[in-house]
Amino acid sequence: MSDRKEITLTINGNQVKGKEGDTVLEVCRANNIYVPTLCFLEGLSTIGACRLCVVEIQGERRINPSCTYPARDGLVVTTHTPNLEKYRRLILELIFTERNHFCFFCAASGDCELQSQAYRYQMDHARYPYTFPALPTDTLNDFLVIDHNRCILCGRCVRVCAEVVGDHTLDFSRRGWRTLVVADLNQSLGQSSCISCGACLQACPTGAIFSKVSAYRGRTSEGKITRSACSLCGVGCETDVLVKDNNIVRIDGANLTGLKGQLCLMGRFQQVYNETPRVTTPLIRNKKGNLEPASWEDASKLISDKIKDYKARQGASSIAGLVSSLCPSETLEAFSGFMRNTVGTSYIDTLDGSSYRTIAEGISAFSKNGKGLRIESSLESILDADCVLVVGSNPLESHPVAGCYILRAKTQKKASIIVVDSRPNTFGFRADVWLRPNAGSEEALLGALEGLVAKKTKSAEKSMRFVSVAKAVEATGLGKDTIQKAAAMLSTAKNPVVVYGEGVFTAKNPKLVARVLDLAKLASHDGLKVISLKPKGNSRGAWELGIASQNGMAKAKPSMVYVLMSDDKFEMGDWVAPVDQAEFVVVQASYRSPLTDCADVVLPSPIWAERKGKYVSLDGKVGNSHKVVEPPSGIKDDVEVIAKIAKGI
Amino acid sequence: MAKVKLATSWLDACAGCEMSLLDVDEFIIDLAQAVEFTRSPITDIKEFPEVDVGLITGAIGMDEQEEEAKELRAKCKILIVLGDCACFGGICAMRNAFPKEEVLRRAYIECESVKDGKIPSSPEIPTLLDKALPVNAIVKVDCFVPGCPPRAGDIKYALSELLQGRIPVLPSDMMRFD
Repeated sequence: MSDRKEITLTINGNQVKGKEGDTVLEVCRANNIYVPTLCFLEGLSTIGACRLCVVEIQGERRINPSCTYPARDGLVVTTHTPNLEKYRRLILELIFTERNHFCFFCAASGDCELQSQAYRYQMDHARYPYTFPALPTDTLNDFLVIDHNRCILCGRCVRVCAEVVGDHTLDFSRRGWRTLVVADLNQSLGQSSCISCGACLQACPTGAIFSKVSAYRGRTSEGKITRSACSLCGVGCETDVLVKDNNIVRIDGANLTGLKGQLCLMGRFQQVYNETPRVTTPLIRNKKGNLEPASWEDASKLISDKIKDYKARQGASSIAGLVSSLCPSETLEAFSGFMRNTVGTSYIDTLDGSSYRTIAEGISAFSKNGKGLRIESSLESILDADCVLVVGSNPLESHPVAGCYILRAKTQKKASIIVVDSRPNTFGFRADVWLRPNAGSEEALLGALEGLVAKKTKSAEKSMRFVSVAKAVEATGLGKDTIQKAAAMLSTAKNPVVVYGEGVFTAKNPKLVARVLDLAKLASHDGLKVISLKPKGNSRGAWELGIASQNGMAKAKPSMVYVLMSDDKFEMGDWVAPVDQAEFVVVQASYRSPLTDCADVVLPSPIWAERKGKYVSLDGKVGNSHKVVEPPSGIKDDVEVIAKIAKGI
Repeated sequence: MAKVKLATSWLDACAGCEMSLLDVDEFIIDLAQAVEFTRSPITDIKEFPEVDVGLITGAIGMDEQEEEAKELRAKCKILIVLGDCACFGGICAMRNAFPKEEVLRRAYIECESVKDGKIPSSPEIPTLLDKALPVNAIVKVDCFVPGCPPRAGDIKYALSELLQGRIPVLPSDMMRFD
């Protein structure tokens, strides 16, 4: 849009430049001319609801809201006159008297845009009678509360939900002063299609929407905000973390209406506090078989001695290392360097290693050019898609922001959504076509789709082996029409994107990955657009370091295993059995879990907020996570701990 | 110079504003030299004399308070109100979402700590108004100092300005509603 024509306006007597297509407010902001606003939020559409941004425009019969008034060449605008200021204060008084805007028991007091405008206009009283309506408060959502009494009907929540989240759960009901923001068809938020991402909370200028985990715990002015990166799912959203007295008060998206700034319920709410008991001191299993607290010296010496012992007796290959892909790249590098060089073993893997091997084998079966994960496209490419095929994944659960991108493509680009998953998957309800084949028949289904798409686009390659529709119908239990409908959507799409996730990884079938890639290639017009939703925040970082390249674990039957869990959640996986059978198990983890309970030595580990490091997002972009709180005393950085153990060998 | 006569009235309020007034530290000495406190919570004078400045804290929630506000308005030259309750209705206005009868029933009968309660009905006690209102909904107010409670500094600023013959409006950076 940089080629837009430049225009010149006169604002408050000064000549200022703007671009054709800008609103008067945008020109004012670009030229550092302050105009008060409430319903305006950069990046959202403008609706002129609050009228606080009114300006005088020469030639206009009356004052106009600058946020919706298109700027044009030669416009003469005045932003501040006694008359305008009079109206602005009047609007504030009307808002204050309309509902319950008493600040002293409001969760947003101190961080409220309405309040700060009232201060600005020295609104020490209201000249109008208060209406005192008794409006409901919706508290059924796990994290969000909507108090309609505090709502000023600016519509920022409605617009952010529709335009940024793509969910469009929220909208207005009724008319005039009876207007209420409602979810779906006037359901409570907790029972609606709301995905609890909290974008509405961050957009809300007042305390009408507040968070159960952050309310009354501290204001922005009382703490410190640190820009960091969310390390949970690999989308790599940028966050602003508010910390007061070494406690996380609130996590906001760094750029709510931009890319990767909206956050989801995991990044915004679930990390504010975690009640899982922490490991706060090294623990060593004593002769009675109980874990008892030990000093760092004793614990690291024991580990070093055991490594030396096993190396001497059974060779380095009797020792294996496992690491969670939730760790930052620095920790992953230190751990793999330690296992490979200091210990000398090649048996090292990530907890999600089997996902990597499935993807990697699938990619190399698809193409021999050795580009590996780099054949994948960026997450943003979803936003331009006109057809999204989702295979074996519910992105709204595993990678909610990626899921939102798909919803945005649906609402903004009229993209059709096709879901292929044999498992129960609520994302299917949002799809145009939900193909739910019999378990294990996904490959046949994709093969048939390939054949149908290839027929239309005539881009088949000799090496491709298609499945006939009749065979697919038999194997999948789906109707012929449904399969053909999905194929038609894919083949008519100009810009299709294929997203696949955990359902494909757990099937551990590289051929399925190759099928997904083949189908994407057949349907694509300009370049392959495939994205795999990798399990953890730094999966791609770990995989690119080669930690998951070979699976030696099961074959090696290690006698000693060193598991660096850090703040990852314990989930069953195929790595558990070899760990369970090992003679000596070291677990370095932030939280108590079944794994720490069966370990011989447990070492504490910091959580995401207590360390800094680099994370590689699932589409290969590097983000920096920062240390925002100090760890509980006695917890040392993982890299430091590994170095200490290495020194003892 | 003759002392400025001041009368205060404590309506539907929690005493936080009075506490804040006492919290002006050594300014209270200057104040005492310049101001004669007539009716106030510490002087135990029952009737309002004619005064220069009337000061009200609290919203108007009962008929007696309405009467008192009107009387003070009639007897003072300048009326200043302190605190969110007096300026906006404040915490007292929380009951306004419910009918008066429901509020009384909740307080005197349904409240967990009440046994065999009944709503008082003696003609000697004031009756609750339908809604708790800010003072300016009943009488004309000349000066507002919001805050819950207003900071001692806000009160000091407002009274100093008044003593120097100006009607103050709190500056933006001083104003607080909480």
